[in-house]
Amino acid sequence: MINYHPDQHLLSLHAKGELPLSMSIAISAHAELCSHCRQQLNQMTIALSEQEFEQQQTVAEQFDDAGLSGLLDQFMSSTLDNLDTEPTPQPQVVDNTVTIKGEQYALPRVFRKQINASWQGIGKVSRLRLDTGEPQARASLLHIAANGEIPEHTHKGAELTLLLAGEFSDCYNTYKPGDFMLLDQAHQHSPKTTEGCLCYTIVDAPLYFTKGFSKLLNPIGDLLY
Amino acid sequence: MENVQSQSAQTRYDKGNLIARSSNQRSGAMKSDEPNPMADELAHLMMQVANNRCKRSFASLFSHFAPKINSFGVQRLSQQGLAMDLVQETMARVWTKAHLYNADKAAVSTWVFTIMRNQCFDMLRKVQHNREDAFGDDIWPLFESDDAENNEEDFLLSANLLQHVEDLPPLQRQVVQGIYMQELTQQELADKLNIPIGTVKSRLRLGLEKLKSFMEKHYD
Repeated sequence: MINYHPDQHLLSLHAKGELPLSMSIAISAHAELCSHCRQQLNQMTIALSEQEFEQQQTVAEQFDDAGLSGLLDQFMSSTLDNLDTEPTPQPQVVDNTVTIKGEQYALPRVFRKQINASWQGIGKVSRLRLDTGEPQARASLLHIAANGEIPEHTHKGAELTLLLAGEFSDCYNTYKPGDFMLLDQAHQHSPKTTEGCLCYTIVDAPLYFTKGFSKLLNPIGDLLY
Repeated sequence: MENVQSQSAQTRYDKGNLIARSSNQRSGAMKSDEPNPMADELAHLMMQVANNRCKRSFASLFSHFAPKINSFGVQRLSQQGLAMDLVQETMARVWTKAHLYNADKAAVSTWVFTIMRNQCFDMLRKVQHNREDAFGDDIWPLFESDDAENNEEDFLLSANLLQHVEDLPPLQRQVVQGIYMQELTQQELADKLNIPIGTVKSRLRLGLEKLKSFMEKHYD
């Protein structure tokens, strides 16, 4: 039974595609483990698609203004035929498991492009950094071997921990796979595990990954011009 | 006013037709649990594209979705050129992935929305982080056939297999095609080709062995 879930706000930003990659990975992995959130995301996606695509439109005039007629002509005269003759890329079979300290874990599908990096660590704690290309956030897979613990620490920004396998507990609670814990800088904790665990974690600059793109990068035009 | 606009948009390929019809239907208060003729129309067009590669139907889908994708793109990507790229990429995927659309899983609108959102996510990463990676489709499962990936592989495999059937020697090819594509019995095929059934069996065995070795060589 999963007890900790992303809140409605995060789920809805995720459905819109407005979260940074590191956080979208976490929500996607959680939803793969949690049917409740998966269902909510499906409903949000349906609602969003109706809002974007089925509301009454005054778009007929946009069609020509935006140059869409030209694009359609291009599709009809050549693009569609070209697409049909393009060789279909060979499907890649991606191994979705990681092995660390003799334990093998199957991961949610969202991790499948990222797990070729190597593990680093001392003692019972090992970390595999995921390259999300975001300077503001560090995303990793974190493995703690049986009877290991992470020394007590606080966070400058927020810390997200998604338990993927095993169990761990801290001064607040005991957690099960799928549990999604978002802690801010006010929290101190030192997770301990008896049977060992694998987590996905993000540590960030203050409040980076819990805001949508729109708030973070407003206007993103700054980067474009 | 509206008539004039949809008239002018309606040059070739029924442009605007769908838009005009859908806004007529929407002008009355419509609850979501009522039958939705627009959704049915879109599903019909999608099936035409998937099964018959019907360009006319694609053009109608384009007329319906492109302006909306464009305004989504303008909001999200803040640049007209990029919004057009989003329209182009999304509609190209609608065409190439049409066979994966599953009407039991989602409305066409929802399916197109997921394609657009995923594509937009990858485009934003390109703009913001200069990353060429494509994560969108890994993050959000598409509302597609149950094992869309397996289907896609089967589909590819059949395409490859068909190619190899073409490469068989003519007599073996004739038998393999007769049995597996025209679904004749061995006896029917023997009668049709006017050869003994034993010859059908031996040509079939040779042909299948050859196909097997083609496939093993290429896909092991």
